[in-house]
Amino acid sequence: MKKKKDEEELLKNERIGKVLSPHPLSFMKYQSLCVFLIVWGMLVAWIIHFSEWRGIFTGNFWIILVFWGFGLLLAGVVASLVTVRWSIFFLYLIVFISGTVIMFWLKIESSIDLFAPAYTVSLSIVGFLMVEWYRRSHKYIISNQRITFKGGIFTKEERTLRYDKIADINAKQGIIGQIFNFGTIIPISQSGFGLGSDESFAAGGVQVGKKNAKLFGMAGGGRGVQTPRARSFYELHGVYPYKEVKRLVEQMVQGSVITPYQEEQVAFQKEQVNLQKQMRDLLKMQAGDNSFNEETGEEEASSQRANRRESARGARRPAGKKPMPDFEEEEEQEKDADDDNVFKPEQADIQKQMKDLLKMQAGPKDEGPDEEEPEDEEPEEHDEEEDKEKS
Amino acid sequence: MQGSPIDIVIFAPLAAILGVLLFWFIQLLFIQCEKYLLSILKHKHESLVRFTNFLGILFQTICHALGYTVTRSGISDVYLSVDYSKVAPKKEKKGMFEWISNVFLFIGPFFIPAVLLLIFLFFLIHNGFEVTTPSQLLEIKYTFSGQIATFGNSLYVFSNSFFTFLFNIDLLHPAHFGFLILMIFMGLGIRPSYFGEKKKEKVDMIYDLRNIWQLVSNKPVYPILLFLIAYVFFYISFYLDQIWYVALFSILGWLSIISITSVFIANLLLLLVKNADEITGRLRYLPYITIPLIYVLMRLLFYYFPSDYTNSVSLLVTILVTCLVVFLLLRKKTNKFKTKKRIKLFKKEKEKNEEEER
Repeated sequence: MKKKKDEEELLKNERIGKVLSPHPLSFMKYQSLCVFLIVWGMLVAWIIHFSEWRGIFTGNFWIILVFWGFGLLLAGVVASLVTVRWSIFFLYLIVFISGTVIMFWLKIESSIDLFAPAYTVSLSIVGFLMVEWYRRSHKYIISNQRITFKGGIFTKEERTLRYDKIADINAKQGIIGQIFNFGTIIPISQSGFGLGSDESFAAGGVQVGKKNAKLFGMAGGGRGVQTPRARSFYELHGVYPYKEVKRLVEQMVQGSVITPYQEEQVAFQKEQVNLQKQMRDLLKMQAGDNSFNEETGEEEASSQRANRRESARGARRPAGKKPMPDFEEEEEQEKDADDDNVFKPEQADIQKQMKDLLKMQAGPKDEGPDEEEPEDEEPEEHDEEEDKEKS
Repeated sequence: MQGSPIDIVIFAPLAAILGVLLFWFIQLLFIQCEKYLLSILKHKHESLVRFTNFLGILFQTICHALGYTVTRSGISDVYLSVDYSKVAPKKEKKGMFEWISNVFLFIGPFFIPAVLLLIFLFFLIHNGFEVTTPSQLLEIKYTFSGQIATFGNSLYVFSNSFFTFLFNIDLLHPAHFGFLILMIFMGLGIRPSYFGEKKKEKVDMIYDLRNIWQLVSNKPVYPILLFLIAYVFFYISFYLDQIWYVALFSILGWLSIISITSVFIANLLLLLVKNADEITGRLRYLPYITIPLIYVLMRLLFYYFPSDYTNSVSLLVTILVTCLVVFLLLRKKTNKFKTKKRIKLFKKEKEKNEEEER
């Protein structure tokens, strides 16, 4: 059913490669808050009922309340300071206040020794369920054209990213991720989506003087560092198996980007085609005047074939590989040996000479001014040299 | 003075050293067993093997860093991952300092985790861990046999306290439960339980022994110097009639006992995982559920019917019931513990079921 729904959203010629969701342990930062609540609830129960200090707590509502709340809030402060997120402190504060209010509302103050641990543990179970619900709301679809990120419990968030729009890929794997083979991959778009910033601020003050005359000064400053960061529904959060997914995304991105070498090859082939077109036109013009020399024609035709072969080889050649004559080329040379020696190193020179000769022959028929010819020729000469170097 | 001079001067100091070496070799054998079990579980429980690797590497990194700290080389860079770690010193020190750093690197992982457990154990004194004093103190004799007896007596005293604590461990006590968890982690992480991806990178008993032998043979002056220091220390103890020399080596013996026990408990757990894997279907989770369930039930029973042996009986019943459950499941679901006739019947029944399913 779900698969059908995913397929309905596909574009033309789009195929789904992988449908992923975060690993159950990938939201450990939220789960650890619940783990603490369970541990604290059980610890409170043990201290109040079974430890050697249980005498202090027996029948003393306020001591139990303060002890329970102090532990919660202390953990909240420590966790907030460590993670620089005060939301953790407020979360534990809400747990404490709500528990106290419920106790007074239901008038069960005398049963605090049972209520406080039970309430803490049950809240943590609710927390676990919510984290799991949130995790299951995520879905990442990797197709041959784009990555679709979906997530959110009440508000459904969605992001679609085409591979050619990905500028950078950030990947991270924590210790738990390394053990269970999951990790987070953040594709950063060309517009910078997927980048967050860490802000730090420092300030200092100084007070000079006595009671009556005080001089107070304060100075401060801050700085920010850009870092890859995104919401879990805008990144491939905690995906499993990490290495395979990372390789797949990188391959897809690589496949949709034209490398400088490939660009160079395409430009070279275009030049070749233009050159051959010009030569063909000139030869056609000659043929029209009945001044076509058979010998030259044969040579031209063979050189054209050679050019076509050479350009085809350039297109087939993998990126970064030098165009060295290999076994395949040798075989092809043998096959073409009866045509003529088209792979001679002077080939490029001959082509140029041919072109010059043909132009000279066709010169009187050209309508364009003679002065422009050298300007046109210059870049061509340059190109020919480049071609020579490449071949 | 009892004993011949040659015994006192040459052989007596060797007694404690040989005792420690013996325990260390037993420890190595237990770790090798653990490594074998991990190699069996590798394909089905990759995460578990990666976790044990991480623990092993973590302890090794701690030892390496400790070595650089002790030799005052400083630490400039620390890198730690699941299958690789690196500790770089601030200053490259040569000679004795370098050698001591290497001793920490190669021998430390066998003892440092046990040191952590020993420290934890001393926090539990009067909280379950009671230090027993021997009813009769042995007279210290500075001969080989006398030193062996003193060393053995010291180990006996510690073992008595330690195993009494373990057999009466209260798993509903947070500190006791924490100690057991730490003990299992230490047992899983003690070298050379590291399990490499490739055969060449295998770190086993021979690999570690070869490393230690190279360390000794490359610079024989330093181990000889350590031996000399040990001998001098023995002569001082002998001159002042103190137990210092044996006491020092006894601590190393305690550490070995703790390590061996940790590895043994870890091995039992791995064995449970291995046997549970052989059971098909959801019933394979039953042995894992049995342990906490039976323990809590037993404790509840003893809560209403108090007894002097609450903890130890609860633990014993839990272990026995778990073993029984595993045995029955293996017998029912696999060919194990069956006679030939029964295996044939089992096969027939299985085939019948498969046909019916088709």
